[in-house]
Amino acid sequence: MKTLLFLALVLFSGFSAGIVHGLTNLAIVEPFLDNAIAIENQNLFASGEAEDTPSFWIEYDSYRTWQKGGQVLAGAILGTSVGALFGIVYAYSRNSLPDGHSVKKTLTLASIMWATLFLIPFIKYPANPPTVGDPETVVLRSIMYLGFIALSGFGALGFYKVYKKLLHQKKILAFVGYAAYITIIFVLMPPNPDEISASMEMVNGFRTMSLVAVTVFWVANAIILGLLWQKYNPDKKLETKVS
Amino acid sequence: MSYSNQISISKSGVPILAVAILAVIFAFGLFVVGYDQGHIFSVIMGEKAFDEMLIHELTHDMRHAAGFPCH
Repeated sequence: MKTLLFLALVLFSGFSAGIVHGLTNLAIVEPFLDNAIAIENQNLFASGEAEDTPSFWIEYDSYRTWQKGGQVLAGAILGTSVGALFGIVYAYSRNSLPDGHSVKKTLTLASIMWATLFLIPFIKYPANPPTVGDPETVVLRSIMYLGFIALSGFGALGFYKVYKKLLHQKKILAFVGYAAYITIIFVLMPPNPDEISASMEMVNGFRTMSLVAVTVFWVANAIILGLLWQKYNPDKKLETKVS
Repeated sequence: MSYSNQISISKSGVPILAVAILAVIFAFGLFVVGYDQGHIFSVIMGEKAFDEMLIHELTHDMRHAAGFPCH
């Protein structure tokens, strides 16, 4: 495999998909964030921690504009990061994925990684907008969230190894095994300790848009990497002719 | 009459160096967007970085949107 080409394709596809993710968030998630932060501001005014003055709003608008720009930059960084992981897993698993066009392979892998690294953890620990979450518990929640992702991801990797070893008719057992494993983890892991006092309509709307936007990222990353892999094929064929 | 037997051997491995580089990028990017609370800038700014939390504030919206616990 051509190392530099492989790195370039993986990083470019992750970066590009991250930009798409950031822009999607700006379009569909940001309105919910603005509403949630507006509630936080009202709480600040009510508690006397801030005053509802023109200077407050000038500073706030400038700050939020900066944060919204950061949304796209953070999308690029997170996209490159998750895209790097996707590239590693794809490089090792590409010969086990369904035959055919590279996009078919990358979409297959992306659907597995999306489910195990995002969807299942998301069901246990869904995204929350500002106003939800006690700062005192953020370290615990971070450990639980990352821990669940790691347990799900490594569990999927372990059952993939089992899948490879099983005979054709018994391969279904690997899926059953992962389902049983993640169900046990799901039940054993503690719930999010924070109560939600904000409107559930707003929280659920935010969660739905968050789910859609992350899904857009995984689809975009798979399509971009698949198309680039098909076109540039970084697989280096070292052919030795023995006469 | 002479015979010539040819065997083609194709090899396509995954470069370990590339995997190592990608693994570092994955860990660093995940930390920056999902978990930094001033740690990275504290190398330059000291304790002040933990009060200002510049990266946290900059990545705030993506943290929430991507599902990371933010605050």
